[in-house]
Amino acid sequence: MIRVLLFGMLADMAGERELEVPGKESMTLADILDHLQRLFPTMNDAMFLLAVNQQQTSDMNTTISNGDEVAIMPPFSGG
Amino acid sequence: MGDEVYINGDAARIQEEDFSIEVEVNALREVSKRIGGIVSFLGCARDFSEGRDVSSISFEQYADMAKGAMQALRTEALERFDIVEARLVHRVTTVHAGDQIVLIVVGAEHRSPAFDACRWLIGELKQRVPVWKKEVTPEGESWVVQHP
Repeated sequence: MIRVLLFGMLADMAGERELEVPGKESMTLADILDHLQRLFPTMNDAMFLLAVNQQQTSDMNTTISNGDEVAIMPPFSGG
Repeated sequence: MGDEVYINGDAARIQEEDFSIEVEVNALREVSKRIGGIVSFLGCARDFSEGRDVSSISFEQYADMAKGAMQALRTEALERFDIVEARLVHRVTTVHAGDQIVLIVVGAEHRSPAFDACRWLIGELKQRVPVWKKEVTPEGESWVVQHP
């Protein structure tokens, strides 16, 4: 399974902070996002940043495997 | 300097509890006698935002990523600027007007790189550390969109 984490307003929009997505062969970050946007259509209009295993990335072709952790994050607002 | 400088010894960290500017400055000075200038940035909670009263601010973090991002920022600052040491502390908790939120302290042989590094660090922290703030106002709660 792939662990997907949602934060901030995205977690509020989805009503979930964490979910699991079954891993498939040759799965990419784009596939994970497609899956989430079907589950939570309101996310389609949201701006977000992505991280795989705690490393920020914008490469939607990043391969995702079972055991990976994907974070969907609103733009940061700390400080 | 007292033993208190060794409490919370992590130079770049996220924590719930409040921090002491004096303790952080002392810990920085303890690193080297080459330090001739120290510049700090302290971010505090305001009681207004976007024209509304703010009664409190709650923070959320992606803890597994945020700690590494803070430490990477410190390491990068030490490489990019002619500085001796840098310390970064960010609180993740619920704060009220006037409470301390974030502290950057930079020590260098001379003031100019210390100013440059301090400004760079707080700017990059806002861009790169996965922390989010939610303001509580009389009208309700709202997530904050990043300020410049």
